[in-house]
Amino acid sequence: MISRRDFFKGAGAVAVSTAAVSRVGAASLPEAVVMDNAKTHVPPLPSTGLPFNPVVTLNGWSLPWRMNNGVKEFHLVAEPVVREFAPGMKVNLWGYNGQSPGPTIEVVEGDRVRIFVTNRLPEHTSVHWHGQRLPNGMDGVTGLTQPGIAPGKTFVYEFVARRPGTFMYHPHADEMTQMAMGMMGFWVTHPKDRAKFAVDRDFVFLLSSYDIDPGSYTPKVNTMLDQNLWTFNSRVFPGIDSLPVRQGDRVRIRVGNLTMTNHPIHLHGHEFEVTGTDGGWTHPASRWPEVTTDVGVGQMRAIEFVANEPGDWALHCHKSHHTMNAMGHNVPTLIGVDHRGIAEKIGRIVPDYMVMGDKGGSMGGMEMPIPENTLPMMTGDGPFGGVEMGGMFTVLKVRHDQKRGDYTDPGWYKHPAGTLAYEWTGRLAEPARSADAGRSLMPATSRPDVKLQVRKPSGHGEH
Amino acid sequence: MNSLTKSGLGRLAVAASAALLAGCASFSRDGGIDDVARMTQERIAQPAPLKRDQDTQAVQSEIRTLLSKPVGADAAVRIALLNNQGLQATLADLAISEADFVQAGRLPNPGFGFGRVRGGGETEIDRSLTFNLAALLTLPARSRIEGRRFEQAKLQAAMQSVKLAADTRKAWYGAVAAAQAATFADQVRGSAEAAAELAARMRAAGNWSALDAARERAFYQDALTQQAQARLQATTAREELVRLLGLWGPSIDFTLPDRLPDLPAQPRLAANAEADALSQRLDVLIARQDAQATAQALGLTQTTRFINVFDAGYVNKSTTGAPRENGYEVSLELPLFDWGGARVARAQASYMAAVHRTGDVAVKARSEVRQAYASYRTAYDIARHYRDDIVPLRRQIADEVLLRYNGMLASTFELLAESREQLTAVNAAIAAQRDFWIADTNLQFAMNAGGTTDSRTAQ
Ligand SMILES: [Cu+2]
Repeated sequence: MISRRDFFKGAGAVAVSTAAVSRVGAASLPEAVVMDNAKTHVPPLPSTGLPFNPVVTLNGWSLPWRMNNGVKEFHLVAEPVVREFAPGMKVNLWGYNGQSPGPTIEVVEGDRVRIFVTNRLPEHTSVHWHGQRLPNGMDGVTGLTQPGIAPGKTFVYEFVARRPGTFMYHPHADEMTQMAMGMMGFWVTHPKDRAKFAVDRDFVFLLSSYDIDPGSYTPKVNTMLDQNLWTFNSRVFPGIDSLPVRQGDRVRIRVGNLTMTNHPIHLHGHEFEVTGTDGGWTHPASRWPEVTTDVGVGQMRAIEFVANEPGDWALHCHKSHHTMNAMGHNVPTLIGVDHRGIAEKIGRIVPDYMVMGDKGGSMGGMEMPIPENTLPMMTGDGPFGGVEMGGMFTVLKVRHDQKRGDYTDPGWYKHPAGTLAYEWTGRLAEPARSADAGRSLMPATSRPDVKLQVRKPSGHGEH
Repeated sequence: MNSLTKSGLGRLAVAASAALLAGCASFSRDGGIDDVARMTQERIAQPAPLKRDQDTQAVQSEIRTLLSKPVGADAAVRIALLNNQGLQATLADLAISEADFVQAGRLPNPGFGFGRVRGGGETEIDRSLTFNLAALLTLPARSRIEGRRFEQAKLQAAMQSVKLAADTRKAWYGAVAAAQAATFADQVRGSAEAAAELAARMRAAGNWSALDAARERAFYQDALTQQAQARLQATTAREELVRLLGLWGPSIDFTLPDRLPDLPAQPRLAANAEADALSQRLDVLIARQDAQATAQALGLTQTTRFINVFDAGYVNKSTTGAPRENGYEVSLELPLFDWGGARVARAQASYMAAVHRTGDVAVKARSEVRQAYASYRTAYDIARHYRDDIVPLRRQIADEVLLRYNGMLASTFELLAESREQLTAVNAAIAAQRDFWIADTNLQFAMNAGGTTDSRTAQ
């Protein structure tokens, strides 16, 4: 739900009596529009300015604007927000206009854009328009191209959106803290020619990562690389919306990376081409088919494909730890460790003790109490049980009957007869196995005195 | 050989002694024990069943009954008062003191001598009737002195009983707490054992390095040592109690409750503690009686000038580690050369010394009570802090670690390490509880008997 609130009302730091502010002064500032939830909000077609095909921000929204003498005016408010990462987990972040990431800014090539940035953070900030060609003094690097925007102050950025493409915005002031706290947003400059690069569905999201201790609510901003929550637009699976498309749609997915590591984004069921980078549209002759594209740190990638395979197709980062929610990085491996007798002994001291991990990491649907505001490490149920993933994971849902412009979740795919993997119930022949694999090629010169036990599952249960 | 016939002097003596004997003591029904029991009971807040003979059927059967169920602190005190042979010795001393007192109030029997000497064809028969004139003349003084000594002996016996009760209580708290600590050490060992075993199995499965497995094993070895020490401490503390209870043989197999009594809801208040102590403390009473005795001796000296009774008030030697020795000496002199002026001066100085000693005891008593209260109050606050804050926090931490373990955010080893931390906190809480009860006993002792420091000036 978008709510329009008068910027001057309820703004603690700048709360002044209405009498003290001239009507002209108040009128000169566009409304700061605020979002109060993390659902995906499909923007309407533009009613003012040049026409364009809006993008759909995954679990996000696009910022309304106002035309002022031919200038497109936006108002961003940098402020502390509470972002829901998934049902059951809320996080104290810094963001823009009520959410983190901030709203997507959509403009058209050649637009003169004026952005008012009001700082309601406890420290100064700035906004850098990542990837844009603009006057140097509008680049938003504190200390280098401008002073910081002090708390309570409003700065105005103004430039012409010269190059069409995919961009981001984020602070260039105390950015390690401010980006660790979620200060970022998406920016799309649409081509002036509405038909150019037109697709049927255009999804956008940012990759961001956080280190939030189980049971806490605020990210640890000083963590360098050992983050434990990996997000699409500050949402983790199963809190991430799916990407519903109509069979045959040409689909574009634009991904920006504001984490501190690369993310191989992998799509199931289709090949795609990388059609856009930070620098703009890729030359058609340079494109090659892919099923995974690595999105480097600070990079943008636009991938495109025709969604012609119906079904529920996973779309995720291929780093397996990035499709997990918070997990203990120092938990030793228990696979194959015989727990007989020990569990009882531990149970005498820790009454609610239960053995886990001795058969692998899968928790097998165990539902045990965990710390507050913490999502299970592997979570999210599909039609066939636990998906056993979290973090950077979502589903591309291709349906032949999904209506044009309809982004509602069509539910789980119903597989036509004969198109679903099934259990073999016939006889199993014992496969031939080598007894001395690698012996002559890889002689072990110093074997530790450890009896390696490889437990090969048989069909008769574990014990 | 002195021979004395019935003379005028003899008649005078008999008449005088008859007058003196009118107020003379005989053996009391209880030998002073009832007084001691009453003074003790007032000070230990429970009945003090003092008996001179612990070997009677009734006493032995009461002790057996008390030992047949878990022995609480009050029961332990009762057994000690009935059964501690050190106390029995003191009570026997009381009987000696009473006998002295009664003896002092009686005239010595006249002596009759008969001698027959034969030699050189002669036989001499010598008959004599003797009467101890000195004893007759000093009888009133001796009787008064022995009376006071008997009163002193009662106070000393009461002091001994109260101290035994306090020592028994403290030993009981120590023994119960040490047994609890030993149980906790068993649990810590169990936790360490589980971790070490899990580590060994992880090593066997190839999941862990020798380093990690050795670390867990080392922790287990430490836990084993601590368990042995805790068990020895439990035995030591229990033996201390056994000694005070005067037990041996099969009777030492009694059981103690599993846990210490809970903290009282509110601590005692310090109001009137000092004033109460001055009216109740046995050492103050003893010092005061000393001063009174010396005052009487002074009066006597001033009156007679020839009867030397100073020693009665202050000839009591107390040497560290040795029983207090009391005594007196009365002598009758013939005033030929010394008319007693120096003796009177000495008596006055002795009286002043006794007065100052009493003041000294009083100053120390007040200070000891304040100190004991401060210890008591601090021990109460610390024990409550453990009970209300530290232990619940540790429990919460352990619960939170379990939640993390459930979410695969923490390992079994962290879980076990936290359980050990929790056990350690509970153990410290029990020690704090024990310290509180000991401080409580010390405070009562400082209020009623004598301080934890020696309140008498060494002589
Ligand atoms: Cu990733």
